[in-house]
Amino acid sequence: MKAVLEARHVKRTPLYDEHILRGAKMTEFHGWILPVQFKGILEEHHHTRSKCSVFDCCHMGEFRLKGSKAIRSLEAMVFNDMICLRVGRCRYSSILDTCGGIIDDIIAMKLSEDELFVVTNAGPYEKVARILYRVCLATDVTAGTAKIDVQGPLSRRVLLDLGLREIEPLKYFTCCRTQWEGFEMLVSRTGYTGELGYEVFLPNDLAAPFWREVTAHLEVEPAGLGARDTLRLEMGYTLYGQDVDESHTTLEAGMGRFIDWNSDFHAKEFLIMQRELGRYKVRTGIRSMDRRAPRPGYEVFHEGRPVGMVTSGSYGPSVGYGIGMAYIPVDLSMPGTRLTAGPKDMEIVTEEFPFYKNGSFKG
Amino acid sequence: MNPQHLKYTQNHEWIRDDGKVFVVGITEYAAEQLGDITYIELPEVGLDVAQDDDVASVESVKAASEVYAPAGGRVVEVNERLLDQPEIVNKSPYEDGWFFKLEGVERAEFDSLMSAAAYEIYLKEQ
Repeated sequence: MKAVLEARHVKRTPLYDEHILRGAKMTEFHGWILPVQFKGILEEHHHTRSKCSVFDCCHMGEFRLKGSKAIRSLEAMVFNDMICLRVGRCRYSSILDTCGGIIDDIIAMKLSEDELFVVTNAGPYEKVARILYRVCLATDVTAGTAKIDVQGPLSRRVLLDLGLREIEPLKYFTCCRTQWEGFEMLVSRTGYTGELGYEVFLPNDLAAPFWREVTAHLEVEPAGLGARDTLRLEMGYTLYGQDVDESHTTLEAGMGRFIDWNSDFHAKEFLIMQRELGRYKVRTGIRSMDRRAPRPGYEVFHEGRPVGMVTSGSYGPSVGYGIGMAYIPVDLSMPGTRLTAGPKDMEIVTEEFPFYKNGSFKG
Repeated sequence: MNPQHLKYTQNHEWIRDDGKVFVVGITEYAAEQLGDITYIELPEVGLDVAQDDDVASVESVKAASEVYAPAGGRVVEVNERLLDQPEIVNKSPYEDGWFFKLEGVERAEFDSLMSAAAYEIYLKEQ
């Protein structure tokens, strides 16, 4: 681990020193050194669901698209509309290849009639940056932009206590510009936890001062990748590179309901055909019968026959049993199908997402 | 740091001589490496085990691990509290977080294990 952390090609976020000072356990994640945990994964998980946690998400990509031509070009590569997206609104989408394979999943934010702010994942960053520049002449602001996720039922109160007044009326999946100590920031009411929460975008040099102030708030604790993973898994959200990648289409990822079939995009014909044929493996929620977790890579069996594979799995701290996602045939994917998984034939049952049903994200 | 009166194995189990029975658990180092423990599988009471048999399982958020018998004997008691509250092992690996108790342990097998001092040195090499 020491060798990895000191390798020059691994990047540090502006919050690296803060994490080291706190004694966080660090790990390498898609070329970045990030905290896995501070006080403990379970503790951080529960704190997020009951109060407010902050996450270092500076590793993610950010791009600005200017002009209707650029936005239209993006629209041709994603499965829903971007031109008619209203100012101040956010939209979940994916950049697709021509066969519907998912190059990345994104959140797009309409900042003005002709400006779109696009947030992307760290894994496929190089490829996405190339595509967005070639096709949309996007400005890559990743290097100078820090992102801190503030998530939990008390997150609104925390940000208001810090003076970010403009966020008060924000509805779920909307965004606004706001101020902290006279500095401008962009905030979206989005997140990866299923709780009321916000993603704060700010210049790199403000990241550490903002982090220090928000973590000084009595209700706030820092949380790492470990808790980020258990939280998103309980909601059934995908982790790019683990649950979805270019080998999966949006339909296979179980996200067909997000597709705007009236929009024109280059992979549409392919997805129409796939939808009509209806024969593919779909990402499905699975749960175990006790605290044991199904693990990534476990093969899934139906009546003894191998039918698919687990892509993510863990103990769900808020639900109290093992949960996960597996790609299994569509006709086995309805809730309640009894299956087994892994080398010890763990008994599992399909279950609808989200596993955790009391998230405050819409509140 | 590691209790002096215990003996230790290379797989980070500890064993304590309680007179009639020997008590087994996992060390603080093991618990720390695992992180928050979420599931523990204990052996059946009455099971006869040999030294180094895998007799119990531990799972954490990020890993799964086997627990091996530090010495042979018969399982006479298991710590059922751990089934619902596996986090006890993280909080108290040497006391409340004991896994199981063995009877009929060979003195020679017990003596062959590492002392606290030897385990300290062993840890430095990890």
